[in-house]
Amino acid sequence: MTADTVSRFKIPAHEMERIKSLLGRDPNLTEEAVFSALWSEHCSYKSSRIHLRKFSSKGPRVLMGPGENAGVVRVTSRTGIAFKMESHNHPSYIEPFQGAATGVGGILRDIFAMGARPVALTNSLVFGSLRQPRQLTLFRRVVAGIAAYGNSIGVPTMGGEVWFDERYAKNILVNAFALGLVAEDGIMSAVPPPKPLLAVYVGNKTGRDGVSGAAMASRSFTDGDTDLRPQVQVADPFVGKKVMEATLTIIREGLAGAIQDMGAAGLTSSSVEMAAKAGLGIEIDVEKVPLRDSSMEPWEILLSESQERMLLLVEEPRVGRIMDIARESQVSAAVVGRIISDPVFRVRKGETVFAEVPVPYLTDQAPLYDRPARARVPAPSPSAHHSPSEAGRHSIVELFHRLLDHPNGGSAEWISRQFDFEVGTRTLLSPGHDVAVVDLREEEHAVAISMAGFSHPLTRDPGRGAMLLVAKCVTDLAAVGAWPVGLTDCLNFGNPERPETMSDFVLAVSGIADATKRLGIPVVSGNVSFYNETDGISIPPTPILATCGLLSDRRRLVPGRTFRAGLSLALAGTSHDLSLGGSYLDWILDEPEPDPVPQVDWETLARLQPFMSVVLAGRTLCASRAIGRGGLLRSLLQIVSGGTTLGVALSLPRLDNPLQTFFSEAPGRILLAFEPEHAPFIEQSAREFGIPLRTIGITVPHLWNIRYQDRDGRSKELSDSPEQLKRRYSASLAGQMEELP
Amino acid sequence: MTPRHHVGIIRFPGTNCDLDTWEAISLVPGLVPVWVSHKEKNSGDLAAIILPGGFSYGDYFRTGAIAARSPVMDLVGDFAQKGHPVLGICNGFQILAEAGILPGTLLPNSGRTFLCQEESLVIENCRTPFTGLFDPGTPVTLPIAHQEGRFFIDPDRLQDIEKKGQVLLRYLNNPNGSLREIAGLTNVTGNVVGLMPHPERRSSSLFGRPDGLLFFQSLALYLERQSLRTLSEAH
Repeated sequence: MTADTVSRFKIPAHEMERIKSLLGRDPNLTEEAVFSALWSEHCSYKSSRIHLRKFSSKGPRVLMGPGENAGVVRVTSRTGIAFKMESHNHPSYIEPFQGAATGVGGILRDIFAMGARPVALTNSLVFGSLRQPRQLTLFRRVVAGIAAYGNSIGVPTMGGEVWFDERYAKNILVNAFALGLVAEDGIMSAVPPPKPLLAVYVGNKTGRDGVSGAAMASRSFTDGDTDLRPQVQVADPFVGKKVMEATLTIIREGLAGAIQDMGAAGLTSSSVEMAAKAGLGIEIDVEKVPLRDSSMEPWEILLSESQERMLLLVEEPRVGRIMDIARESQVSAAVVGRIISDPVFRVRKGETVFAEVPVPYLTDQAPLYDRPARARVPAPSPSAHHSPSEAGRHSIVELFHRLLDHPNGGSAEWISRQFDFEVGTRTLLSPGHDVAVVDLREEEHAVAISMAGFSHPLTRDPGRGAMLLVAKCVTDLAAVGAWPVGLTDCLNFGNPERPETMSDFVLAVSGIADATKRLGIPVVSGNVSFYNETDGISIPPTPILATCGLLSDRRRLVPGRTFRAGLSLALAGTSHDLSLGGSYLDWILDEPEPDPVPQVDWETLARLQPFMSVVLAGRTLCASRAIGRGGLLRSLLQIVSGGTTLGVALSLPRLDNPLQTFFSEAPGRILLAFEPEHAPFIEQSAREFGIPLRTIGITVPHLWNIRYQDRDGRSKELSDSPEQLKRRYSASLAGQMEELP
Repeated sequence: MTPRHHVGIIRFPGTNCDLDTWEAISLVPGLVPVWVSHKEKNSGDLAAIILPGGFSYGDYFRTGAIAARSPVMDLVGDFAQKGHPVLGICNGFQILAEAGILPGTLLPNSGRTFLCQEESLVIENCRTPFTGLFDPGTPVTLPIAHQEGRFFIDPDRLQDIEKKGQVLLRYLNNPNGSLREIAGLTNVTGNVVGLMPHPERRSSSLFGRPDGLLFFQSLALYLERQSLRTLSEAH
């Protein structure tokens, strides 16, 4: 590398060469800053774009697909849901409270930029082991940061997932999902109409916080990265709420031609991306930008990621009304530039031009990499080993206790009670369920949201594991009678320059693409987070999915738990492949030669939702719950969690593989609780839809008793106290968090 | 024809339970919700005022501190002074306490985190405009959602409010360290009520009991009786 190719903004040398050859000259400081942001992995998707083409975003209900601030899917005759998920992993590791809070603020802006009023938030959190004090602090502060933003702006945080795994200790994952409602004729776009338009800035003033944040999030961490704190943005949910209300008013009054939030790479990406979509250019005068610190340099203004800011493209006669709305809402607003026919990005400060770069150089001609991929070589296993499927080696009772005692298997209530999950009073199913259910208050419809981000199956087999995640979402949705209408993802991976990481990525994307196409679920938005790597060690492949499903009648919904004794319990769904590979049990035992990851029974999966719809429409169920993390035993404990003393008495036939029966997480299985009198109707419906159904027992107070016969026909019995199991379940996470001084 | 009483719902910047409160009021025959701006100075024909929950002015400063000093609070003070019904829910309670319209203060929860969960509560004082439909000792279940809900007051005044029966609502399992499990209280004259739990969030329900609606139905009944009394006095 020669001295003159060294970039002040850490642009790799070969990309600096490319910039020089495109421009035919050296970029100046401001131009280099602009390139560093727009060519960053975060903004350009340069390593992922060619693979993301595998996703299909088509579907009869899709109103807006990728390329917008968020995807939109029609859910009633006149309303759509706008939804998206984004990562805020890097900032949250550096400054957990602000990093997580701004993650929530950023995803909300993506939603209301579409004209949609946000009505639900969820999140997926992955941390290292809580045995480390550093992780405790990170975790505590991330949860507080999410709570601070969502609670204050008044959008309920309805649910989510959490996972603790040492391999994420230096690269925690904080993914936030938001969903909003928008009238079909009120959808806003980030693609401007072909008219002369002015660029109007609305929101918080610009400061030095978050300068170069996008570029920071596009690199791996090294040990010396303690000085990155200024690159983390600062959240202000109070201003966020004012900006949200002002933006929604502006859209409702039809005043804006296009809107994009100033998220990653702030003013630069929002202005350039909107201009690029119209095939036009844009001119920005940084002197007009509302500033907190008047000494800011043009490049700092361009790259600042100060929060709570929106960029609007507006026809001139409408600017006055927008200024009035901003004044009423007590937020700053200014005309900062205009769309120009010449397709260049021109940055001025008064009369002085600081940057002039053709827009295509920044977007279409940004680097695009088909990075080499090489499948991971499985670690050689020691010669002596025992498969977890080997019945009899483990005490089932003891294994179940181990699953519950780990924070990964315990109740997440310590987290969810810090989130206001009810503000807006649309919450039909609260945290503690596998899905969040949002009341649409229209045509009796509701929307269910299922999150899946459990990476262990992907560690075992990226392709099959990714399919499993899609199938898990669909099962969760089916359990409440919802059928999937759209999916968004956040693909968290390590360093794409490593062929093994790239191979994981390609396999996972293919798995998600195959599974969603097979089930007809459009992938309407998404986000990629690479470089989750520290000191050369990458995280396991961790795509996190959020699938939205539609319930046609919210009044038929049943909760995932009951307090009633004497109910019949039945298991509906597949028993085709109950392998334990990639399961929570597999993770706990970490056997050297695990079972394979189970193959999804697509046939049964596709029939589950119609079956559940019929059973729910017959109003025959008291509770239903997908078999999820931890398998049948843990799901049983959850379904009787409506009361403190309620347990179960099960009587099972001969089991060839008790471990699989009790701990398999193969998707496509739902646990049902119902009055015994409804058994004939449920059994009849199961036959009609070709769903295997087995009645397995009843709910009983003060009893936890499971009888079965082992492979050799010997009678076995598992006995426990439901009260004690529930205490274990509720203490495993809360106990760790509350013991601190 | 049923008279329709206007119930003013105050919106401070940062209030976020305003729409939920509006919906709950709309469910009660005889009550008509109307918006009241934080700048309003005239109570017009309002029959009652509600300060809904939220994070007024972001609550970056001591909770309720800025809202308690906004122009509309002069109106609320006068309105309360005249004996009209005033209800503060969550942040609204914090603002009423900060403004000195209700005794005591709400400190950060003893666990130092935000808490959103259902609480079992017992109603004690049923002589306010918002609790007439309850029997003393009635158990109710309502959700809380706050970071600063720990009721605190000096020992002398604590004794005083207990003696005068100003405690309206107590937690069964104190979630936040409130003195004497106090979750809600009223002023000496009984027309101003502050509640940390959210009745508007239990005004209609798919699964549970809508315990919260009774607070607003009580108000409708109270206003109805008031107007009958005024009518008979006029005759």
